[in-house]
Amino acid sequence: MISVKKVFKIIGVAACAALVISGLPGWISLSKQNEEQGGNTVVSVMFHVSSSSKEGQAYKKCVDAFNEAYKDKKIKATASYTPRTDGSSAYETALISMKLENKLPDIITFDSPKCSYYAANGYLYNINNMVADIKDEFYESSLNYYNGDIYGLPIQESSAGFYYNKTLFRNAGISDKEISEYGDETPWTYAEFSSVCERLKSVCEKAAVNMNFGGTADETTPYLLYPFIYASGGEFASEDGRTVTGYLDSEDTVSAFYFFKSLLSNGYTTDQVDANDFYNGKVGMYLSSGWTIADLRNKNYSAFPSGSNWGLLPYPCDVPGCAASATGSWSFGITQNHHSDKSAARELLKWLVNDESSATITEHTGMISAKKSVNEGRYEKGSPEEMLFTQLANTGRARPTMVGYSVFSTTFNQIVHELPRTDNLEKFISEKTAILQETINKY
Amino acid sequence: MEIIALLIFCLFLAVFLGVVAHDLYKAKKTNTPFRVKNCIAGILMIAPAVILCFLFILLPMLFSLGYAFTDYNQMRPDEVHFVGFNNFKEIFKEIGSGGDMLYAIKNTAIFVVGVVPLQILLALGLALFCSRKVRGSSIFKVCFFAPVVISLTVTSYLWLTILDPSEDGLFNMLLGAFGIPQQQFLKDPKTAMLWVVLISAWQGCGYQMLIFISGLTNIREDLYEAAKLDGANAWQRFIRITVPGLKSSVLYITITVFIGACRIMVQPMLMIGPYSEGLTLSYYMFLQGTDYGLVGKSSAIALLMTIFIGLVTFVQKKVLSKK
Repeated sequence: MISVKKVFKIIGVAACAALVISGLPGWISLSKQNEEQGGNTVVSVMFHVSSSSKEGQAYKKCVDAFNEAYKDKKIKATASYTPRTDGSSAYETALISMKLENKLPDIITFDSPKCSYYAANGYLYNINNMVADIKDEFYESSLNYYNGDIYGLPIQESSAGFYYNKTLFRNAGISDKEISEYGDETPWTYAEFSSVCERLKSVCEKAAVNMNFGGTADETTPYLLYPFIYASGGEFASEDGRTVTGYLDSEDTVSAFYFFKSLLSNGYTTDQVDANDFYNGKVGMYLSSGWTIADLRNKNYSAFPSGSNWGLLPYPCDVPGCAASATGSWSFGITQNHHSDKSAARELLKWLVNDESSATITEHTGMISAKKSVNEGRYEKGSPEEMLFTQLANTGRARPTMVGYSVFSTTFNQIVHELPRTDNLEKFISEKTAILQETINKY
Repeated sequence: MEIIALLIFCLFLAVFLGVVAHDLYKAKKTNTPFRVKNCIAGILMIAPAVILCFLFILLPMLFSLGYAFTDYNQMRPDEVHFVGFNNFKEIFKEIGSGGDMLYAIKNTAIFVVGVVPLQILLALGLALFCSRKVRGSSIFKVCFFAPVVISLTVTSYLWLTILDPSEDGLFNMLLGAFGIPQQQFLKDPKTAMLWVVLISAWQGCGYQMLIFISGLTNIREDLYEAAKLDGANAWQRFIRITVPGLKSSVLYITITVFIGACRIMVQPMLMIGPYSEGLTLSYYMFLQGTDYGLVGKSSAIALLMTIFIGLVTFVQKKVLSKK
C-alpha cells in the first residue's frame, strides 16, 4: 500500500523535475547569449519576412556584409525573421511579447503608417539626431515622422498607377498622343479620367476600370485609393494624427468619395471586377501597385502575350497643385529597448540603408529604392518603372500616420464598401468619422 | 500581472490539492489498498488535463473578466488602469447610436435564429435517412460528415468561388443556363448573412447527425413494432416515439448549436468582411482586441456575451427539460 506521505513525495519530485525541465531552455539560451557576447557588442534586428523569401535573402546578405565589415570593430549583428501573416498578427504579437519581456531587438521593421502607433506606445526610439546627416538622401514623403521627429527610415518604396490595355485604348479611339499628355508632370484631371472611362466603357466587356472597390478588407484598398483624397484637396487627419473630425468628413474629402461613386453610377467600374478581368482583356484600366509590372511581363496573360501591349498611367488630380500618388512601404526603426547605448544600433541602421544595402534589396525585390541615389539612372526612359519613380519623386505623398491606423484602415474600407449602397455619403462618412475619433481618443 | 497569475495559480492548486487530500483521506479510511491505488491513479491521470484547463481556459477567463474593467491596450500592457464600467457604458452608447456594435448584434441574432433550427432539422433529417437499414448508408454518413472535418477557411474560400457574383461564379453560371439574371449572393447586404446561415448549417449538421444517429439507436425497436400493430402511421410513430426518444439529444444539440452560433466569426470574416452586413459579435470583439489592440473593450464584449449565452442556455435547459 502506498502511503499518503509517499504520494506527496512523488508529487514533489515530479514538480522539481518539471521546474528543471521547463527552465532548461531558458538557461541554455542565456548561456548561449553570453557566449556570443564574449568580446562583441551584439546588435539584433527583426525582419517581417521569411528568411527564404527574396526580400529575406537580401536582408541576410546585408547583415552578413555588416558582420564582415564590423568584425574588427567588434560589433556583431544577429537577425531574426518573423513573417507577418496579415496586417496585424504574428509579427505584431511577437513585438508585443518582446516588449513585455523587455527583449525588443535593437532594430525592427514596421509598416510606415504604423509609425505613430509604435512611437506613441514606446516601441520606437527618436532617431532625429542620429540620421540628420543622411535624411536628405531619402524622399521626404517616405521618412517616418511622429510629432515632427523622425522615428524610421524607409527600406524601399512602392507606388501605384493605372495599367492600361493598349488594344482596348486603340479600339476606344484613345490615341497615343492623347495618352502621352496624361503625364505625371502635369497630371491628368478627373474630367479627362472620366472621359477616357466613358470611351472605354463601350469596348470593355466588364468595366472601363478596376478601382479595387470590391477588394478584400485589408490594406490594399486604402493604399491604392488614398491619393485621390489628397488630389481632391481633402485630408484624413490633423498633423499629429489624433484628430479626424473636420478632416475625414470635410467637404473636399467627401467629394473624393463622391467621385468614386460617380465612377460606379456612370457604369465605368463595379465592385465585382478583379485583377484577372484586366489580365484577360475584359477591363481597360487597372489600378495596382508596382508589383504588377513583373506579373505582366512574365506571366504571359491572354491579353498581354509576351508581356507586351500594356502601359502605365499616373494618378489623376482634381485640384491643381494637390496631385498625389501612393508611396510608403516598410521602414527600419531603432527600438526603445533595454540597451541605453544606441551607437551599435545606429551603425547597423546606417548600414542597412546605405547605397549598397539599398541596391541589394532593390535587386532582390524589384521595388523602387527609398534612396534617391540608388534610383538615379536605374530606369530606362519611358519604362513603367521610370513612370512610377518620377511620379513618386514629383507627387508621392505618404499615407496618414496616426496612432489608430488599423481603425482608420477598417473605416476607409467600410466607406468604400458602402459606395454603391449609400446615397447620402456625407451622413455615412460623418457617422464613421465620429466613431473613428472616439476610438482614436482611446490611444 | 505575474503576481496575480501566481496568486490565482496558488488558489487553484490549493483547491486541487484539497480535493486530492480529501479523496485520499476517504480512500484510506476504507482501509482497502486497492481504493487508495485507484484514487492515486485517477488523480495522476486527470492532473495534466486539470493543469491545461487551468492554463488555457480558467486563467484566460479570469484575466478577461478583470480586463473588462480596465483600459488595457495591447500595445501598452504595462500601463493598465481600472476604469470601472466605462467599457460597458461605451458599448451601450454605441448600440444606442446605431454604430458597428448594433450591426454586430443584429447580424448575430439573424444568424442564431436562422442556423439553430435549420442545422438541427437538417441533422435530424440526415440522421433519419442514414439510420435506415439499407445498403450503402455508411457511405452517406461519411459524405454528410465530411464537411465537419474540413477547415472553416477552406470551405469559406470554396463557397466564395461558388458564389462569385460575376458571371464566372458557379451558381451564376447555373442560373444563367436557366435564364435567371446574375445574383450578388454574398455581396448583397440583404442576402449575405442568409448565405452564411446556409453554408454554416451545411458544414455543421454532420456532427449533430452523428449524435442523433446514436440517439436513434437507443430507441427500442419493439416500441415501433407495437405502434405499427396498433395502427400508428409513420408520422405518428415519429412524433410519439422518435421525438420523445431523442429528447436528451435535442437538449444537448440545441444548447451546443446555440452557443456555437453565438460565437460565429470565421465565415463572415472571410466571406463578407467588417461591414454592416458582415460584423458579428465575435468578429467585432476580435477586431477591437486584436486589430485595434483595445483589449479592455474587447473583454467587456466577451463578458456581456458570456452572460447572455449563460442566461439563454439556462432558460433553454429549463424549458427543454420539462416533461
